[in-house]
Amino acid sequence: MIEHEILNVENLNFSYSDRRILNKISFSVKRGEICGLLGPNGCGKTTLLKCINRLLNIESGIIKINGRDISKLSRSEIAGLIAVVPQELHVAFSFSVIQMVLMGGTVRYGFSGIPGRKDYTLAYEILEELNIDHLASRRYNELSGGEKQIVLIARALFQRSEIMLLDEPTSHLDFKRQHLIMEMIKKITKERGLTTLITLHDPNTAGRYCNRLTMLNRGCVCHHGSRDNIFHAESLESTYDMKINIEQTESGRSVVYPAFDLNKK
Amino acid sequence: MKKISPFLIIILLLIAGILFALTSGQYHISLNTLRDLLVLKLYGGTPGDGLATQAMVLWSVRLPRILMAILAGSALSVSGVVFQGIMRNPLVAPSFLGVTHGAVFGASMAIIFFSTAALSVEVSAFIWAIAAVTIVYLIGGRGINTLTTLVIAGVIVSTFFQAAGSLLKYIADPYEQLPTIVFWMMGGMNNIIWTHVIRASVIISAGVAVIYILRWKLNLMALGDEEALSMGVNVKFLRAILMIFATLLAAASSSSCGIIMWVDLIVAHISRAIVGADHKRLIPFSALLGGFFLLMTDTIVRSIPGGEIPISIITSFIGAPLLGYLLLKQKKQWKE
Repeated sequence: MIEHEILNVENLNFSYSDRRILNKISFSVKRGEICGLLGPNGCGKTTLLKCINRLLNIESGIIKINGRDISKLSRSEIAGLIAVVPQELHVAFSFSVIQMVLMGGTVRYGFSGIPGRKDYTLAYEILEELNIDHLASRRYNELSGGEKQIVLIARALFQRSEIMLLDEPTSHLDFKRQHLIMEMIKKITKERGLTTLITLHDPNTAGRYCNRLTMLNRGCVCHHGSRDNIFHAESLESTYDMKINIEQTESGRSVVYPAFDLNKK
Repeated sequence: MKKISPFLIIILLLIAGILFALTSGQYHISLNTLRDLLVLKLYGGTPGDGLATQAMVLWSVRLPRILMAILAGSALSVSGVVFQGIMRNPLVAPSFLGVTHGAVFGASMAIIFFSTAALSVEVSAFIWAIAAVTIVYLIGGRGINTLTTLVIAGVIVSTFFQAAGSLLKYIADPYEQLPTIVFWMMGGMNNIIWTHVIRASVIISAGVAVIYILRWKLNLMALGDEEALSMGVNVKFLRAILMIFATLLAAASSSSCGIIMWVDLIVAHISRAIVGADHKRLIPFSALLGGFFLLMTDTIVRSIPGGEIPISIITSFIGAPLLGYLLLKQKKQWKE
């Protein structure tokens, strides 16, 4: 393993009962990178995130973080290394925003421990950093989709893990908020020296914000590498099984769009 | 205006409730008499002829019953809060998850096959309550922990233990055992003596203490298994511990007072609406409110002229319409 690689997945296989969902998945992510996971619906993106966080037990293969095999780590050790931002979190009960953020730090409070005054101060600092300190005492349930997502990101930051996993964090947000959230993820990844693994639907978003891409199709990695090397029409075509065009704008950005009218055969 | 703490209000209500309960009932004791009796007790005096009956009623009948009502109400409510938290479902409660019926079945078993001596009733009630909730969890908790499957599983298990309890009534000795069992099934506090109060207070305070220690992790459990796991909680272990102690609370109440429906569900609900979802506040508040609620209900039950009625009738008359109202009012929040 190369020294600055923080996440290493080797030959990972995973099945739900008899159905193989992930097949010989291998890829690695370097410290400080934002790695986007792309692929059609049902290709195993979310399953892969759950395997990395050991919410699902893999059939075979190895997942290493900082060189440590996660299958040998305790739940709290994993929580110290990986923080998760779920796609959309519905909570049956109305916790306040500050409580939601404080929950991220649970591993540091010890057995049956509860957050102390210092933890509250630190949690408020994160809310300030993300410009949502005015929401601190609001109930999480009553927030808008975008605000909820920022609270979940704040919670992940408060967990102080090295790796942040995000599952489609922007899928239910409007166009502006999608980009606000992605800018925020980019900024905190850089400033805090995090490593971010993010599943995304939109290749344009991935192309814009990720510096590494892993493309999945039918449970296999079909392309993996730096964005500059693999973000081209051929790789996206084989990932999504469709004709794709990429155009360069005047400012040098790549814009992806389907190459034909999908309604015509 | 500064907001008055809901804790202060409920504590004052509870104190007022205790005074009211001490003085009211079929045998009237006025506030003045109550004061005299308290003074006598404090200075270790013997009540004179005029006060002897009142002293007996107060210290041997009314006070233990009042304490038991508060203890049982607290235990059921905290148990309700815990079950709602770990099942992430504001519609579950021990009395609807088969816990209460399992406990009463266990108590009946002990009465028929063992003896009522020592802790056999409590132990048997606890074991069967655990069995009931485990079955509910296995049926209703598989796959996605949905609201509907859990509620249906609770109905299934409750019905089964109700039937099993009815069967026990047939084989029970009609003179010795049947009246005791029937009492348990109807629920009530008319036979409470100090021994029950002491046993229940030890079990219930221990149970509430353990649950209160785990209050923060219970918050995480209320977010969901995957969430709690991602934040480093050993979900399976913690759920087992919390379920055992919540069941212990419900069983301790049921083995002394029989089936009391609705208190757990309703008090947990109202407490959540008043103090929010954080268990740090929710657990003590629901304990106080539950104690107050059951104390008031029991005082009504024993003050009705023409003989006592089972307490569950009153709790159901209050609880059922109240839940209906809450469902109408909060429908949006419960949507999954």
